[in-house]
Amino acid sequence: MAAEPFDVIVVGSGAAGGTAAYALTRAGMRVCLLEAGRFYDPERETPMFQRTAAAPLRDAGTPDKPFGFYDATVDGGWVLPEEPFATAPGTEFRWFRARMLGGRTNHWGRVALRYADHDFKAYSRDGYGADWPFTYAEFASWYDQAERLVGVFGSNPGLPDQPDSPPGCLQPPPVPRSFERLIMAGGRKLGRPVVASHTAVITRPINGRQACFYATPCLRGCSIRANFQSPTVLLPPARETGRLTTITHAQGYEVELGRDGKARGVHYVDRLTHRHHFVAGRAVMLGASAMESVRMLFNSKNSRYPQGIGADGGLLGCGVMDSTGSNVWGQFPQMENLPPFNDDGAWLPHVYIPWWAWPEQRAGKLPFTRGYHLELYGGRLEPSADTFDFFDSVSPFTYGRKLKAEARRYYGSFVRLSQRGEMISREHNRVQIDPVLKDAWGIPSLRFDVRWSEQELRQTAHAQQSMAEVIEASGGKLVTPLPHNPAQAILPPGRIIHEVGGARAGVDREKSVTDAFGRVWGVPNLYVIDGAVFASSAHKNPTLTIVAFALRASDHLKRELHHA
Amino acid sequence: MPDRRETLLWLVRAIALSAAPGMALGPLQAEARGLGVAAAAAGAPATIRGADAEGYGRDPDLRHPRVTWPLTLDPEQKTAVTVLADVLLPAEEGSPAASTLGVPDFLDEWISAPYPQQRADREVILAGLATIRSQSPLADLDAASAEAIVAHLSAQAAAGREPQAHFFSRLRNICLVGYYTSMSGVAQLGYVGYQPSATFKGPPPEVLALLGV
Repeated sequence: MAAEPFDVIVVGSGAAGGTAAYALTRAGMRVCLLEAGRFYDPERETPMFQRTAAAPLRDAGTPDKPFGFYDATVDGGWVLPEEPFATAPGTEFRWFRARMLGGRTNHWGRVALRYADHDFKAYSRDGYGADWPFTYAEFASWYDQAERLVGVFGSNPGLPDQPDSPPGCLQPPPVPRSFERLIMAGGRKLGRPVVASHTAVITRPINGRQACFYATPCLRGCSIRANFQSPTVLLPPARETGRLTTITHAQGYEVELGRDGKARGVHYVDRLTHRHHFVAGRAVMLGASAMESVRMLFNSKNSRYPQGIGADGGLLGCGVMDSTGSNVWGQFPQMENLPPFNDDGAWLPHVYIPWWAWPEQRAGKLPFTRGYHLELYGGRLEPSADTFDFFDSVSPFTYGRKLKAEARRYYGSFVRLSQRGEMISREHNRVQIDPVLKDAWGIPSLRFDVRWSEQELRQTAHAQQSMAEVIEASGGKLVTPLPHNPAQAILPPGRIIHEVGGARAGVDREKSVTDAFGRVWGVPNLYVIDGAVFASSAHKNPTLTIVAFALRASDHLKRELHHA
Repeated sequence: MPDRRETLLWLVRAIALSAAPGMALGPLQAEARGLGVAAAAAGAPATIRGADAEGYGRDPDLRHPRVTWPLTLDPEQKTAVTVLADVLLPAEEGSPAASTLGVPDFLDEWISAPYPQQRADREVILAGLATIRSQSPLADLDAASAEAIVAHLSAQAAAGREPQAHFFSRLRNICLVGYYTSMSGVAQLGYVGYQPSATFKGPPPEVLALLGV
């Protein structure tokens, strides 16, 4: 490997690293892509038509496969015995990882919303956290490119919180399902928008990919390449250039600097052989996932940066965010005993409820300053191990013929509303290197210290109330009463798997870790291109913004290398 | 194979569970305790097999699903589970009984799995079976006695009595999942998806009319 003259070493093959590999190889550069997990081929491995009945435990989630046996995640989960991490006393953090080619793009909710200008300027709006180093107008063309590359269905309803996409970016959304129509009717009564979701599934063929055929669960992956996964969308065209070298089982752990202070390559350990290797390049891009990229920077210690590259300003690891998340379940009598019909659709949400109260919030009428949106799940999905979770509530103590009648009656009548909200970036919510803990390869592990503030709890109380209102206005009943305390409703930090921050991008090197292109201050050829650079996280799932940022950073690097 | 000590531990734990406060089968506790421990001491068939089993791991072959752990139930327990499941989900016209759809096998697979939820369920189910066994040999359970047991459990659950309520809830839930995720069960619920199609037209007009949207 050392003999290969690589232009760029990219660490991580998911949304960030996969995008960089795609953009850089197509721009003529030789890329070495390091992936900690194994090779993964969705076209060959995805269990598209395997049925729940054939899966161990009927596809119920387990510690080995938290989202079910058939879930796309390989060698991942919440607890990886070989890769422990610590949490500060009195805190908890969930950290979902997937050690496989394409990382977590193989399993993700695929909601792909653009940040609005007020999302990039959240600090200017309310004084919390930090602004991004660019405006929406400056970033919008990268969203255009990202949407065309990823393949996103959606609509342009002209809402203040959801910037419209130019023509040719979005694909037509599928028509709403039965339960989604009920919620739309309820939303109309309340004067709340219920509009097409922006979801990374294609409804028309693009770039040689087949359109969605409206069957089989997306979280298993998609062998026909209708949804967005790095190994089906980003890596094949990168490979076709002949300029991509992928090394799997390669856990990057340290960036080495040359005497000139520039990055000269990456040290990695082969997870199978435990052997250590070094691979050199003209530039390095970290897309290992927000927390892993921060960990690599901390673990890249040298005489110039004794606390790790990027740590000299004291901000590395600071400002870790997840999305807030809470659920409310509704049961809809209108949906009971319906005749059979196929309501699978594109499996992922067709519609969602955007953040509607931000004018009110802007006027200071709400006790929290950042927004949330609501996602809808449920209805007549294939019966699963959790289909009967609420039977002790709706039909307790029944058995025999009565129970079978109740099963037919209630199937398909449950809908889950899920809050996804913005967590404020705060410097005390941080990761550091744990003083003693190491992974199975001897690499120092992270220690998380992340807590919700009153802001997130008040937002969650509002969201819980909103979800109950929407369910009731739509003709449904709450399955369980709302908890009195939002702390009981909000899921623990990390649980939504939107963890970002820790190497914030900014214009002022005193207040950020990287510049506006993700270059670590002081190391002009070392880019951080994943969620670590997020200055704020909006309430919008981070993947589309990661892809857009990685496209922009790759374009910048291309010009830098050409210039050199 | 587990040793006798392990078997004994499980039985003692099962009996301890059935002796929780609020226990309504109170008069039988002493008998259960005596029977359970005596049976174990006499070298009765192992109650728990595969306690050290491993799961399917983090990278199983998804296209060729396989259960990797040994099963738990001995033939007598299996008999009991079968008659109980058939009371919970009996045969009707056009709708088979639970045992016809393999629900007892699924329950055995479930409670044998080496994962936290399933291990918790194993304790609950085995404790319940141990309590039933304290009344009569499991192999002798017939449809009529199973009907009486389920009716009793349902009534006790409705009265909020533990551990009967939890046993009834978990037994019923596992049977429902086993039944309605089977291919027959899926069809009985009216799930007709999994059909690739070039377009998605949405719910049919008669459904929209029923929904009022």
